[in-house]
Amino acid sequence: MTETAAILPKAAAEEARRPAWLRRLRYLEPSNLLWILLVAALLFLVAVPIGKLLIVSFEQQGTGAFTLSNYATAYGRARYLEALANSLMLGALSSLLSVIFAVPMAWAVSRTDMPGKGFTWAIVMGAFIMPPYLGAVGWILLAGPNSGFLNQAWTWLTGLQAPLVNVYTFFGLALVIALHSFPLIFIFVKSALDLVSSEMEDAANILGAGTSTAMRKITLPLVWPAILGGIIVVFLETVALFGTPAIIGIPARINVVTTQLWQFFEYPVRVEVAAAYAMPLLLITVGMITVQKLLLARKGFVSQTGKGGERRPIKLGRWRWAVLGYCGFVGALAVVMPLMVLLQASFAKAWGRGLAWSNLTFENYAYLLFRHEMALTSIWNTLWFSAAAATAAVCIAVLVAYIVARKLVPFGSALAFLAMAPFVIPGIVMAIGFYAAYAAPPIALYGTALIIILAFTARFLPIAFANSAAAVRAVHPEMEEAARILGGGRLRTIARITAPLIIRSLIGGWLIVFIVASRELSAAVFLVGPRTRTMAVLLYDLSEAGNFEVLAAFGGLLLALTLILVAIGMKLAGRDFMLRRN
Amino acid sequence: MRGMSRRGLLASAAIIGSGGPAMRAAAQDLPAHERELYEAARREGEITWYSGQQSAETSEAVGRAFGERYPGVHVNVVRSTSQVAFQRLSQDMRAGVAQCDVFSSTDYSHSTFLKQQGRLMPYTPRNAAGLLEFVRAAGDPDGHFHIFYIGVHLISRHTGQVPEAEAPRSWQDLLDPKWRNKLAVGHPGFSGAIGAWAVLMRKLYGWDYFTKLEKNRPQIGRSSIDPVTMLSAGERQVGVAVPSATALLAISRGNPQSLIYPTDGTVVVPSPSCIQKNAPHPNAAKLFMEYATGPEYFRVTRRYFSESLRQDVPPPDGAKPLDSIKLILPTPQDIEAGVPEVKEQWRDTFGI
Repeated sequence: MTETAAILPKAAAEEARRPAWLRRLRYLEPSNLLWILLVAALLFLVAVPIGKLLIVSFEQQGTGAFTLSNYATAYGRARYLEALANSLMLGALSSLLSVIFAVPMAWAVSRTDMPGKGFTWAIVMGAFIMPPYLGAVGWILLAGPNSGFLNQAWTWLTGLQAPLVNVYTFFGLALVIALHSFPLIFIFVKSALDLVSSEMEDAANILGAGTSTAMRKITLPLVWPAILGGIIVVFLETVALFGTPAIIGIPARINVVTTQLWQFFEYPVRVEVAAAYAMPLLLITVGMITVQKLLLARKGFVSQTGKGGERRPIKLGRWRWAVLGYCGFVGALAVVMPLMVLLQASFAKAWGRGLAWSNLTFENYAYLLFRHEMALTSIWNTLWFSAAAATAAVCIAVLVAYIVARKLVPFGSALAFLAMAPFVIPGIVMAIGFYAAYAAPPIALYGTALIIILAFTARFLPIAFANSAAAVRAVHPEMEEAARILGGGRLRTIARITAPLIIRSLIGGWLIVFIVASRELSAAVFLVGPRTRTMAVLLYDLSEAGNFEVLAAFGGLLLALTLILVAIGMKLAGRDFMLRRN
Repeated sequence: MRGMSRRGLLASAAIIGSGGPAMRAAAQDLPAHERELYEAARREGEITWYSGQQSAETSEAVGRAFGERYPGVHVNVVRSTSQVAFQRLSQDMRAGVAQCDVFSSTDYSHSTFLKQQGRLMPYTPRNAAGLLEFVRAAGDPDGHFHIFYIGVHLISRHTGQVPEAEAPRSWQDLLDPKWRNKLAVGHPGFSGAIGAWAVLMRKLYGWDYFTKLEKNRPQIGRSSIDPVTMLSAGERQVGVAVPSATALLAISRGNPQSLIYPTDGTVVVPSPSCIQKNAPHPNAAKLFMEYATGPEYFRVTRRYFSESLRQDVPPPDGAKPLDSIKLILPTPQDIEAGVPEVKEQWRDTFGI
């Protein structure tokens, strides 16, 4: 936080030069100091690394002289442009599939009397917890054109040799990504739906609309900001994903931005070209946020007011089993089937030998737990890096969201942009930005835990921010205004009024960041030192090592661990929920 | 080189015959030059080894065995593919941070580049004198880098799906259209060994070899090890340029695979290792070099089916002695000039 120290005197000096500003200083609240700190943190986490990348993209390698040749190189070949187009199409297809998976499930869990809600919730958490590259390995086992269990079952059933499904295709890649991204949309949409009171649907029903019409015309439009936010997040995450395209995309011969960037980082490392190649992605972020603004403009989405409201589940009748069936179908695709094949592999001496007692062993787990040099260290690293990053990200995000929503500072939307920007920077580039900005002396963070925590914080700030912004937006200022009128300061109001209203959302946001950080690969893979490897990096290293039995076992450990933590977290969030209702 | 394996076999049979206790005793009575280094290394306490050579499991085992032989000196094993290991090292260099002591990769040009840049600490381990002649010759005459690993890359088949009679016998056979959608191979952009293999194939048959290979739609992974996994799963039937060590390990676990030594030459890739000039633990690094060129190292790695490069340690079980088969090996110049070219050509031909 040395930046604050540097910024404050400067700001103060400016005040001294401008008497008008000085006079206004008298009206400053202590909270304003916090806002300045926050701006400094955002600058440090986001603006400096991205700015460094921007500068580097115009620099000649070695001399540092201004040049446009990096852009010429980055876009001078059809293969590079094709990778860019592939990423955009992949992002679009994955978000579309994610919406198809997530929105009906979120609606069913939040608004209806569908049975098995706990089961559905578990499916969503499972899909989210499972690292995408692990799911990718599972799907290779399921849908490999020759060996996949699904295809073998298909051949056995029908006698047809042609495979039923092939994971090594564009659709296969998009599907596998969507199966592990849809929970983001689910969580956004469900928490938004939770806040919509039944009165609005009742009004529609009274005017003659059926359940489906009310859902289409009233409920879903009310949560449109959440859906749109979810789509954007999934799109951007897909574009930034490295592991799944490396595992499925390379055999499928689909080059995307991240695998292309990898090539620029091969020796001789062309950071400059990579930076140039990543820049248009920033424009896409700007574009998407603009579109989001236009779509949401001049409409009110406030559903939580100080007046309370009743929430009743919609009765689905016979349809509830069909809806549950759909949730089960998604769960089978996303969790149950890949998990089963992975578990089989993790307890197998040789996975090529299939299911047999003679093939059963605990050796893979024993090897990892007792004899593997890095396995336990990496587990510990993962836990505390992720927890630290989640805490930092949520704290920053909620404050930024609050500032933006309440328009407390000029250029609030610039802050929102800063908080959203990291998501579109592919993790690799983000890592290189951090690397370029902070690895070398005088800051010299390379190889430390701190640089990974900071990179995780920056990288997942958008998730925390999107989550917090939705939560803050749903709280009408009238409740805060009441507190302010009664003499509460800004910080006191936040602490006593706003925070309790959104705390569950924040815990949810913390969990999301924790989970995605614990499985994060693309940023970590370039920042880890010998002592700071995380589970995801170790899994990726194992995926190149030809020993899928051990890989699967390590995946099993990662899942077991995350499940325990999530159970603890949900219990905390759940208990709070119970308290609030009483 | 000819005849060495048989002699090696005899010598090592004598050692194995003398049994475990003798080895343990040997660990306590270190040779004088090792003891001296060990004293200094113990004060440093650890050594960090970036490696893209052995599999992860083997590398870990080497690290553990080193720690047992030299108590108090811990090996941080950082295992990845060679190009990734070199990326890590390049990043360290750009950031001006010294983390790596010993760097091992399967790409010859990494070490020659580091030598040119003056990044290496010359040190000729005393134990290197016992290495096979051709291995010693492939090391740096000035002692900046040494070979204690060679990749042996050949063809493997899924025994359930490809009977021996129908199996390919040479690299040329892989171009037969009957192998369409049945082959699996690594990627030169990730794997140093695949880069070396591609350079040799280009040298033998021209790039045309790969345009024809592409017509058979091989499945492309990253590591040269990936095809072994694909064969274990039954996804593909023939592994191209797989490392013998990983394939033998998979076979020993009961996976239905078998090795094919191509008649037009088994690819041997001498893979150098070097000490960094700015190594944070220079004495431990030197000790590690002594260890890795000495017999102990090869006794450990042969259990994981790596080739022995010393006469006093026999080749791993299931492997043919290297003197009984036709070998082809790239020159350092082939690698330095050729690998960057074939990477680019590969991407143009295979689209990835």
